[in-house]
Amino acid sequence: MDHFPGNWGQPRSRDDHVFSSTDYFPGHNAYDVGSRAASGPAQRTQQPMVTGTSVLGITFKDGIMLAADTLASYGSLARFRDVQRIIKVGDSTLIGASGEVADFQYIEHILETLTIQEYDHDDGQKLSPRHIYEYLSRVMYGRRSNFNPLWNSLIVGGVKDGDRFLGFVDLQGTTYQSSTIATGYGAYIGQPLLRKAVEGREDELTEEEARKVLEDVMRVLFYRDARSLNKIQIATVTAAGSKITEPYELQTEWAFAEGVRGYGA
Amino acid sequence: MFLTRSEYDRGVNTFSPEGRLFQVEYAIEAIKLGSTAVGIQTSEGVVLAVEKRVTSSLLEPSSIEKILEIDAHLGCAMSGLTADSRTMIDHARVEAQNHWFTYNEKIKVESVTQAVCDLALRFGEGAEGEESIMSRPFGVALLIAGVDEKGPQLFHADPSGTFMRYDAKAIGSGSEGAQGELQEHYNKSLTLKEAEVLALRVLKQVMEEKLNATNVQLATVTAEKGFRIHNEEETAAVITQLA
Amino acid sequence: MPITHEYQSASPVKAPVEHRFSPYTDNGGTALAVAGEDFCVVAGDTRQSEGYHINSRYQPKVFQLSNGSVLATGGMYADAVTLVKRLEQRLEWYYHQHEKKMSVDALAQMLSVILYHKRFFPYYVWNTLGGIDGNGKGCVFSYDPVGNYEKHHWNCTGSAGHLIQPFLDNQIGFKHMQGIQRRFLTPEEVVRIVKDSFTSATERDIYTGDYVEIFIVTAGGIDVQRVPLKRD
Repeated sequence: MDHFPGNWGQPRSRDDHVFSSTDYFPGHNAYDVGSRAASGPAQRTQQPMVTGTSVLGITFKDGIMLAADTLASYGSLARFRDVQRIIKVGDSTLIGASGEVADFQYIEHILETLTIQEYDHDDGQKLSPRHIYEYLSRVMYGRRSNFNPLWNSLIVGGVKDGDRFLGFVDLQGTTYQSSTIATGYGAYIGQPLLRKAVEGREDELTEEEARKVLEDVMRVLFYRDARSLNKIQIATVTAAGSKITEPYELQTEWAFAEGVRGYGA
Repeated sequence: MFLTRSEYDRGVNTFSPEGRLFQVEYAIEAIKLGSTAVGIQTSEGVVLAVEKRVTSSLLEPSSIEKILEIDAHLGCAMSGLTADSRTMIDHARVEAQNHWFTYNEKIKVESVTQAVCDLALRFGEGAEGEESIMSRPFGVALLIAGVDEKGPQLFHADPSGTFMRYDAKAIGSGSEGAQGELQEHYNKSLTLKEAEVLALRVLKQVMEEKLNATNVQLATVTAEKGFRIHNEEETAAVITQLA
Repeated sequence: MPITHEYQSASPVKAPVEHRFSPYTDNGGTALAVAGEDFCVVAGDTRQSEGYHINSRYQPKVFQLSNGSVLATGGMYADAVTLVKRLEQRLEWYYHQHEKKMSVDALAQMLSVILYHKRFFPYYVWNTLGGIDGNGKGCVFSYDPVGNYEKHHWNCTGSAGHLIQPFLDNQIGFKHMQGIQRRFLTPEEVVRIVKDSFTSATERDIYTGDYVEIFIVTAGGIDVQRVPLKRD
C-alpha cells in the first residue's frame, strides 16, 4: 500500500524529452533512467569542443541589442568562420550563445519545437521573451541537475508589450537580468565598457548609439580575445520586431603594429 | 454483447444507464449489516460509541476493536466490513504522521477525512502504468472524530468517498432508529458527559442484546486529553446514568 | 588512475583548462532578519556576483511568499530560485488541501524537510525565514543547506554574515552592554540598524553592495524599501 497520494496513479506523464517533471515542474528527476541504462553508457558533455566566444547584450531606448562574432573555435583552432550565434525565437525574442556550439544548436532545435507547439495551439497567445527565458532557464537547470549540462552561456533579449527584457542563463542554471550583459571574455573586458556607456542611460540611448557601443566593444574584444573574429552580427529587437544583420567585418586599425618592437617588420 | 440492465453491477467502474454505480451502492448496503456506531459532537469534545456483537459466550469481547486511534487528537469508529477499515486507518495514521512530520502541526480533522476518502475511490483498474491495489469499494463506513483549531468535529465517510460533517451521526444496522433518536435529543448545548449518556442510550435502544460494559465501547476526543477510549469501569459508570 | 593536471598544453603558454563539471556556484550576497515584538524585518542586498564579476546590481534574492512570510536566500542563486518555486507550489497546494494559509512555523518545518530530502545533492542555499507567528509575534528561522534550522530573534547570513552578526548582537540584543534597559526595538529603529549594517558591510565585503531591499512584515502587511549602497 502506497500511502503517499503524490505517487498515486499518475495518469499521463507530462514529461517530454528535454526534462522530467514528476515534481510538477522541470529540473529534478533524471528522466527515464531505465531505458537509458539499456542503451549503453551515457554520453555527457565533460568539456566543450567547438566553442563560440563572447556575446554582448545591452538595453537601449527602444529595445535590446545583441552582438556576437561568427567564429566557432576548436580549441585554439579557428575551425568554422561563418557560424550564427544569435538566433530569433518567435517575433520578439533573440538569443545569443557562447560556449559549445553543438549544444546551442540543440537548444535552437528545442526552442523551435516549442515555438511550433505554441503556434499549433493557435490560441492567440504568443510566448514573450520572459516566458522563453523561464523555459530556457528551467531546461538549463534541469540538465545541470542531471549532471548532463548544456555547455553554454546564453543571453536572452526581447521586447513584448512595451516591456524590455535582457537576461542571462548558463550551464549551471544561474540566471540574472541586467541592462548590460556580457558572456565569456566579454565579461572581463566588455562589461565595464558597456556599463560605462549604458548604465543610467537605458531610456536615452538611441539605436544608432547602441550599435556604435556594441561595435566598439566587439572591436576591443577582437583586439584582445585570441578566440574572436572581426566578422560580427548585430541583432536588434524593438516593438516593431527583431532583425539580425548579415555578418559583416569590423574596421580595425593595425598601423600601430609597425611601431611595436619585435612585431611585424 | 449488449449488457442487460441487471448486468450493470458487474464492473466496479461501469455506470448503469440511470447513472448509478451499483457496486458502490452495494458497499453502502454492506454497512447496514454492521453493528451500530454513534458519534456526537459537543462544544467540549466528541463522543464515539459502538456496539460490539458478542456472538458467543466464548468470545473475548475486548478483542473486538471498533474504535481506533488515528492520532493523539483523532479517533475513529466504524461499521461494516471492519477488516476493510485497516487499510483506511493505516492510511489515515500515515497521513496524520506525515503532516506532523512535514509541518510540525496537527492535521485537521477534515484533512484526514479527505485523505481517507481519496483512498476510498481507488478501486478498479488503476491508471495506465499503475498497479491497481483494490478490486472493490470498501465495505465500511467511518465516523472520524477529532479536535483541531476549528474545535471538536465529527465527520462521516462512506464507501463512495463522500464525507460530511455532523453534529451527531449513527451508522450500521441500527442507524435508522438511532439517527431518529439523535435528531430528537441532540442540542448544541450538550455537555460531553451528557453526550456520553445520550450515545449509550441511543445504542441501548437499537441493540438486540442487553447493553452492558463489555458489549459497548465508548471513546472521547477533547482538546485537553485528546483521544481516549473508556475502560470498562468508566463505561460502567456511564451506564449507571442511563436509567 | 591518471592524474589530471590543472594545466594541460604542450605550448609554453599555460592556460587553465576546466576539467570537470561542477553543478554548484556561489553568487554571494548578505541577508539578515530581525524579529520584533509584533513585526519582523528581513533584508538582503541585491548584488549578484560570481568570482570577481558583478553579474547584476539588482537581482533580488529576498522573496515575499504567498503566506505572508519573507524568505531571504544566499549561496547559489539558481538553487534558490528553484527552491522558492517549490515552496510557492507547496504553499498553494497546502492552501487548497487544508483551506488555510500555511503558518510561518509550519513553513519553517516544511522548508527543513524539503532541504533534507536533498541531503545528498543539496540546494546550496542558506535560508533566513522571517514572518509573524500564530501568536502575532515576530519570528526568524535560519537554515543551513541540508535543513538544520533554528529559531532566532535576529540572524545574519551570507558573505558578510560574520561582519554583521556581532553588530546585531550588540545593537538588537544589547549584548556586551552594561547598565542598559533591555527592550524590544521599534520597526524604525530596526530599519536604521539594518541600513547601517549594510552600508558598513558594503565597505568591507566585495560581494555585498548596489542596493539593500528591506521588508518590514507587520500584521497589516509587508512594506518594502530599497536603499542604494555603494556600487564598487
